[in-house]
Amino acid sequence: MAESAVVSVALTEWVKAGEPTPLMIDRLVEVAVKALQEAKLRPADLDAIICNTSAIPFDSPSYITTSAQHFAHRLAEKIGVNGVQAINVSAACASGAIALAVADSMIKSGTAKRVLVAGVDNSPKGFYLAAQSVLDHDLAATVVKAVGVTNPAYWAMWARRRAYEMGKDIEDIEELMAIVKAIHSEYGALNPYARYKKVFTVEEVLNSPVVCSPLHLYMICATSSGAGACVVADMDTAQRITDKPVKIAASVVGSMVYGEPMPRLRSYATGGKSAKTPFTEWRRVIEKAYKFAGISAEDVDIIECHDTSTFHTINWIDQIMGWEREETDRLIRNGEIRHTGRLPVNLSGGTSSFGEAVMCQAQIMIHEIFRQLRGEAGPRQAKKKLNIGVVTAYGAYGSYGCIILEKGW
Amino acid sequence: MSKKAIPIVEGLFTWPSDNPRLIGSKCPVCGSIQFPKSITCNNPECDHSKPPEEYLLSTEGILYSFTIHHYSLRGPLSFHQGPYAVGAVQLPEGIIVVGRLTETDEKKLKIGMRVRLKIDKLYEDEEYIYLTYFFEPASGGEESG
Repeated sequence: MAESAVVSVALTEWVKAGEPTPLMIDRLVEVAVKALQEAKLRPADLDAIICNTSAIPFDSPSYITTSAQHFAHRLAEKIGVNGVQAINVSAACASGAIALAVADSMIKSGTAKRVLVAGVDNSPKGFYLAAQSVLDHDLAATVVKAVGVTNPAYWAMWARRRAYEMGKDIEDIEELMAIVKAIHSEYGALNPYARYKKVFTVEEVLNSPVVCSPLHLYMICATSSGAGACVVADMDTAQRITDKPVKIAASVVGSMVYGEPMPRLRSYATGGKSAKTPFTEWRRVIEKAYKFAGISAEDVDIIECHDTSTFHTINWIDQIMGWEREETDRLIRNGEIRHTGRLPVNLSGGTSSFGEAVMCQAQIMIHEIFRQLRGEAGPRQAKKKLNIGVVTAYGAYGSYGCIILEKGW
Repeated sequence: MSKKAIPIVEGLFTWPSDNPRLIGSKCPVCGSIQFPKSITCNNPECDHSKPPEEYLLSTEGILYSFTIHHYSLRGPLSFHQGPYAVGAVQLPEGIIVVGRLTETDEKKLKIGMRVRLKIDKLYEDEEYIYLTYFFEPASGGEESG
């Protein structure tokens, strides 16, 4: 089986959601060309283009973004290619990670040697509500209408359950989530592509309004407009392109696990006859990725995890490390997730600092791990020696992606 | 003339009814329970040889987690005015159902407490009273079917 590697990455600066210019397709072109240029490739060199995008117009009401709408084909048309394999990926917040996993599979199976992965999104403001056309005809989609349960309400229930299972007061997880926000904001301030540059104190986060107890406003990411891209190649090609290829040691896609007791986003009910341990779904993709990469949690040097709320960061650390949850709390409270710490987490600043552009936010994480492993992250650069980085993403309805990146030189 | 009370979404609970129940489905092959009712079993170990049958869920369960939703929704869903309470309730069948809670005082809610189904008003307009399913605290030793 061929090995594959990321050879270049690109991001645009993320901006306020709903900004009318530039058009999404133009932003996608801009970031795709930037990634190609860093890889010193022309569109004619590409075997495939994979896009993770939505096509919700900026003036749309707050409808859930689930449509990929042929952006790969439109991008191909814009930059000019010779009949590449064009594929669109739609998996909510996990889309970028899954697009990379598709590229990786194509290279490892030999159907492509050079693949452009590019994503763009312009996410609607406020709570994501199902479109009326869906509401009226799909019973499972009516949960927001019948119950008023928004995405942050699910995250809040997850957070409260974790505190309960650990025998802790709700104030404990509330403070922990505030600490995560404060630390992520330090790195957003250092990232030229991040939308938010303000550094928050723990008190400021705790003083922000409660959205869904115990989640405060500043623990939940804003919605933004942004784009990101990368070029993936087989290792032989990668080594000709760059002396620092970042190897894709594993790329795994996941979905619902029957018996998972924690209600997954936008569902009425979950479970099954025998409920499993909470967050089995999250853990499953990571375990598979470790197996493919031939590593274990102890080998992970740095993490970029998808954080639409700061609870996500906490839970991802639990699941990625697979240790007692107390260990995660200690890691965060001791500041060990900073660039100076023993396990840096979200040195990009995360969606906490970028805001979520739903369909392409995994590109922030891929970009960061690529730069970190190559020692190119400037003031955000982790102090410890890095060899392996993990990217994890979670999307609505239980879409998961886990990418393990490794120094390929 | 009094307004007619109708479910906000059809098919979630039996209505009108003196003893309303959530409408789920049960697989005749493996026994897997789902809510809302589904046209296919979701158990990956099942051979799916027969479609699920309608199954009325137990009316009492245990609070698995909850949140107080302080913000209000907008647009067509602006009848969800915060603060309101949302909970996840584990039923004896094993499944966990997300629903409204009648109790919105965070201090009076505890994970592990017994709750029971209650169909109640979500909001009303000039024409109808719209109902949804809630769970209310079931302390006090009352028995339920």
